[in-house]
Amino acid sequence: MKLAVFLSDLRRTEDTYDRLKADKLGVILVENGIYHAVLKEGGKESPVLNKAGASFYALSDDLETRGFTAAQVNPRVKVVSYGDIIDLIMNDYEKTAWL
Amino acid sequence: MGVLTIGAFPSLVGSGTLDFSFKLAEAAMAKGHKVNFWLSGNAVMMAKKGQRAFKDYSHLEKKMMELIGKGIEITVCEACAEARGYHKEDTPAGMKRASMDWYLAKCFKSERVLHIGGE
Repeated sequence: MKLAVFLSDLRRTEDTYDRLKADKLGVILVENGIYHAVLKEGGKESPVLNKAGASFYALSDDLETRGFTAAQVNPRVKVVSYGDIIDLIMNDYEKTAWL
Repeated sequence: MGVLTIGAFPSLVGSGTLDFSFKLAEAAMAKGHKVNFWLSGNAVMMAKKGQRAFKDYSHLEKKMMELIGKGIEITVCEACAEARGYHKEDTPAGMKRASMDWYLAKCFKSERVLHIGGE
């Protein structure tokens, strides 16, 4: 299964997130979820980005709303638009989940 | 082009998630996809007549009516609405009220479903 997971919060959701398994996994960071792409805690990046084999995306509008630029985003995270998210969920992934 | 069904449950005021949902729906329609939109739980208040726009709060009525004009199908959970004192006569033109059967039927007929949880 090709699964796209939306994370909309900075709160730790790893309990559910860690258990997710997919042949192809995309993690789309939106709203306060974008903080996983830009903040470090104790010098370490968010554990959300440690998900093995996953591709990571962050919504540009939500980054800008919170005062971040693409240059501040973790290099493993691709900055995307609303239109890009539509292409991801309609073309690249078969199922979606909202955590 | 495909069909995307979005089920949204977050509240209208105090959450940015409904803004996200409508912007995503708009992006899907701009790419030629058909969008079905189910408002449930506290999200039903999104589709109630007579809301006042404050500059500090999200006000999506204009966007919602614009999308209805472009063909989005928006349906409100009837039971969720009635439970919140929001009755049939409060429903804006162009919007439907239905039981959850509507949402399930749309999910089965859609290429993609995005179910956005509430608080």
